[in-house]
Amino acid sequence: MAKTVISALYPPQIDVTRTPLAYGDRAIPRLNRELNDDTLLTRQRAVRSLCDHLHDPEHIAEALREGIPTSLKKLLKDPDITVRQKATESLYVIAQHAIGRDAFLEHGIIVPLSKLFDDKEDIARKNAHLAIQMISETTIGAEGIVNAKLVAKLVDKLKTEHDEIKELILDTLHFCMRVDTTNALNANAMQVYTDLLAHELTSVRAKTARDIMDLSVPLAGKDFAVNVGTVEKLIGLLQDSDPVVRANAAGGLMTITITTKGKYTAINGGAIEPLVNLVDDPNSEVRANSLKALTCLSEAPEGRATLLTHVEKIKTLMHDPIPAVVKAATIAVKVITWKP
Amino acid sequence: MAAILPPKQQGTYTFASQPRAVRQRKKYRDGEEDPNSSQYGNIMYDRRIVRGNTYAQHTLPATAQPDPIELQRQQELRRRAMARKRAKEQLRPRSPEAVEGRKHIDVQTELYLEELSDRVEEADVDTQTDAFLDRPPSPMFIPAKTGVDIETQILEGELFDFDIEVKPILEVLVGKTIEQSLLEVMEEEELANLRAQQRAFEELRNAELVEQQRLEEQERRHREEKERRMKQQREILRKEKETADKISARAFSQSYLADLVPSVFGTLSDNGYFYDPVERDCEQGFMPWLMDRVEEQLEKNVNGRTVLDGILRAVVQSRHEAFKKLEDAIRQQQLAELAAQQIAEEKNRPVSVEGSKAATESGETEKPESEKPAEDETAAVTEPDTEVEQEPEGGVGEEEQQEE
Repeated sequence: MAKTVISALYPPQIDVTRTPLAYGDRAIPRLNRELNDDTLLTRQRAVRSLCDHLHDPEHIAEALREGIPTSLKKLLKDPDITVRQKATESLYVIAQHAIGRDAFLEHGIIVPLSKLFDDKEDIARKNAHLAIQMISETTIGAEGIVNAKLVAKLVDKLKTEHDEIKELILDTLHFCMRVDTTNALNANAMQVYTDLLAHELTSVRAKTARDIMDLSVPLAGKDFAVNVGTVEKLIGLLQDSDPVVRANAAGGLMTITITTKGKYTAINGGAIEPLVNLVDDPNSEVRANSLKALTCLSEAPEGRATLLTHVEKIKTLMHDPIPAVVKAATIAVKVITWKP
Repeated sequence: MAAILPPKQQGTYTFASQPRAVRQRKKYRDGEEDPNSSQYGNIMYDRRIVRGNTYAQHTLPATAQPDPIELQRQQELRRRAMARKRAKEQLRPRSPEAVEGRKHIDVQTELYLEELSDRVEEADVDTQTDAFLDRPPSPMFIPAKTGVDIETQILEGELFDFDIEVKPILEVLVGKTIEQSLLEVMEEEELANLRAQQRAFEELRNAELVEQQRLEEQERRHREEKERRMKQQREILRKEKETADKISARAFSQSYLADLVPSVFGTLSDNGYFYDPVERDCEQGFMPWLMDRVEEQLEKNVNGRTVLDGILRAVVQSRHEAFKKLEDAIRQQQLAELAAQQIAEEKNRPVSVEGSKAATESGETEKPESEKPAEDETAAVTEPDTEVEQEPEGGVGEEEQQEE
């Protein structure tokens, strides 16, 4: 079939929805020019092409050099949904790269992007959340988000958004709470998380449990968790079918049970039995987290008395292939068998 | 048709139909009819009279005021029906207007009628269509060819060949798509790898973080316990010291106050702060009473003596008077004796001496008799006096001895 004969006619516009790229170095400048065009169709086509073009990591640096983020920032306010959607997607792609994230902070794109959290189109909201989540992955980006006072808004959105977006928000909050938890605590995030623990999606449950773990790192968070009744919910999640949920629930318990109040709440809630059952879980994170939680619980005299009957089971973990588990098991045995 | 009622007055009572003169019914139809005039007075056609059954009929309650809107609507309907009727009448074919100079008149036409007697011959013929058969679809309409035919020669490869033309485009499209999707897949994979790594790191980090926090908490608890113990110890020491101070102070004050008590008691008892209640009662209560009683007794005594004095005085006086009388009598006797003596002397001297001797003997015997009872009385009065005076002194002395 293949013949050497090629049509002399130049092929017409192959894909009318995309601007044909200019050759080589000229591609980005042309796209940038067209992004600022007044005609809607031109903008739409340009932003679609740009989106595909940026997926190649080689083009990111050039795009940043040419000032694409500024143009995209302007397009965020565009009345057309296609433009907004593709602009947010482009920003998401840019945010996957370290230089892209730097550019975000440099141009102050976080705040205009967060305006799209209230967009009525789901796809635009989702892309905006994706981009924000990408930025939050680094400490600097997370700091930027915290400084933009977005945490309270995100916690608020958590109550109303779609499940898919909820996951993204939970991821974003996870990174933000690494930087600063006071904003989230003030926004009553612990209550929201506790309500989300009963969600039907495993990924949402897992991420919520992980966020509870992050939020209860400071002392105020632990107290909040005890007061709001998070501990009981987490104990319930210890028997979840999903290993990630189990791991994060155990993780949440291990952070909350640091305080004396948390310990007694967990012991009274019957946390020891399910935790001991998790000790020989196939997932290493579950094992490590449950061992840590047991270590914390055994610091209370009642917990120690109960756990002394399970020491042998924990001792078998001292020969685990995972070094972290071995370490955790060693410490756990030491704490349980400690005598004053 | 019912006449249109005049608009109802807002009053207590309105008459349903307008009063009017009874009209003669017209024999023939008039060209123009007065719509306001009533055409009939027959009760069978009167609208106000109900005919047929009245089950489904909607009758207004007698007292209710008719709805003005409804009334207006009905009037409107009636007016419209009338207009329609009038229009229909006008559209009816009528005989044309009479020619100028003539005039239509009513004529009896019977005389001019003629029977049509010649009949046309008729024959009945009928036909029947065939039963429906399957018909092929009607062929596509092709308009008749117009214009002139012209032809041209096309050589091999000159025409647009889809296979050839589409190939490069398709190759580009597929290539681009594959490239793009590869890029995106790689991107996602990279992200997934990063996530996995992050997760592994987080696992360690969380464990370490918790361990660190646990140790911190432990340290804090230990420190608190230590502080608490130290505080307790300090408290104990403080209390011990306080107790020692108290004891020493007590001992000192005891030793200091040991001498104080007797001296104070001495001084106080010297000053009379301590007293015997019986003695005090005697002094305060009994002695005054005793003195009162003594005084009372003494007063009685004095009164008795005064009375005695009075009696004595009276006795002495009476005695004195009696003696005085006696003396006078004696004197008078003596005088009489003297006188008698003198007379006797004058007459015979011896008789006068014997008379004087008898007079002296009688005076001597009388005197001791009158004095004796007086002496007895005085002795009786004086004796109780001495006894009373002696008695209280003895009593007091005894009691004082008892008290002591």
